[in-house]
Amino acid sequence: MSDPKAFDKILTDIIRQDKHIKKVILVDKTGLTIANVSKLSYYPVDVDSIGAIASAVFCASEEQGKNLQIGELEIVTSEFSEGKIFASACGKGVLCVVSDPEVNIGMVRLVMKKQGVQLADELDKFLAVEPLTPSDKDKEIDEEDLKSALAELERV
Amino acid sequence: MIRKDDKGRIHLKLVFYGPSLGGKTTALRWLYGKVEGLQKGEFTAIEDETNRTLFFDYVPMSAGGRVLFDVFTVAGQKRHRHQRKVVLQGTDGILFVADSSPDQRDENTESFEELKLFLGDALGREIPIVVMLNKRDLPNRMSRDEMLDLLGLGGNVPIYETIAVQGVGVKRAFQAIAREVILKRMYK
Repeated sequence: MSDPKAFDKILTDIIRQDKHIKKVILVDKTGLTIANVSKLSYYPVDVDSIGAIASAVFCASEEQGKNLQIGELEIVTSEFSEGKIFASACGKGVLCVVSDPEVNIGMVRLVMKKQGVQLADELDKFLAVEPLTPSDKDKEIDEEDLKSALAELERV
Repeated sequence: MIRKDDKGRIHLKLVFYGPSLGGKTTALRWLYGKVEGLQKGEFTAIEDETNRTLFFDYVPMSAGGRVLFDVFTVAGQKRHRHQRKVVLQGTDGILFVADSSPDQRDENTESFEELKLFLGDALGREIPIVVMLNKRDLPNRMSRDEMLDLLGLGGNVPIYETIAVQGVGVKRAFQAIAREVILKRMYK
């Protein structure tokens, strides 16, 4: 079974590579944020929204590439006056790095490429585990949660 | 597939789909602003300066502790077809917002056909759908039967008549799709 801490470890390795990297987020291609780390413990951003946008932008660029028949998308770089956002492919997910403008772009690209392979492996394990071999205990918890959500929904 | 985040929360993805200017964003904004029983995160909108959706709107909502609904709308204009396909990835339920205005007849049909094309046989089977017949306050609105014929819908899809600007029927339609999605997950 995949250890959820494995994601944090890899993301932490990435954020330590350059002092200008502020945030690293891992999302799946449906826009769900799977893990994230920040350089500062208090970095006031809505991670779920950032993840949803990062994933959608990356997937839209992928679609653009398919339409233009220009091969596989490797990385999307967005440059702003006060920062940069990088998004790269990692198997079934998208790795997103937020940085200051002074960041070493070559270093970021290298690190994202290298760690992306490892993240892709971990993601495969993580995403494969639940549908294939859910333990009875996990299944019960899910069902209870769903039942409680159903009850809450009726009260809205 | 039930998706869990690193905090163990279960995420279910719902998408408002339908023709341009049909009321998708209006319905979501009404849910966001007026329904108190749902816990909501921030409203994210990727839109142009006239408030037309360019890519999607997104709000995380929760009914109960560990089950989260990631609610999206799509951009309805025809040229945003590829964005809609992207937003549909991994969706667990569809709220189709049809426009009751007679001059939107073709747009409704085209949008519904596109949805069927994107989701294939999964639509209505693995992915539940609830239809909102919106703008029911229009004096020249199409009749309910006319709209259902137009979309080729029989009696097996829940239909709600709504007025999104006033919130009429919106909460019930949302509860219906959320319920359908949860039941689908529980009993599949």
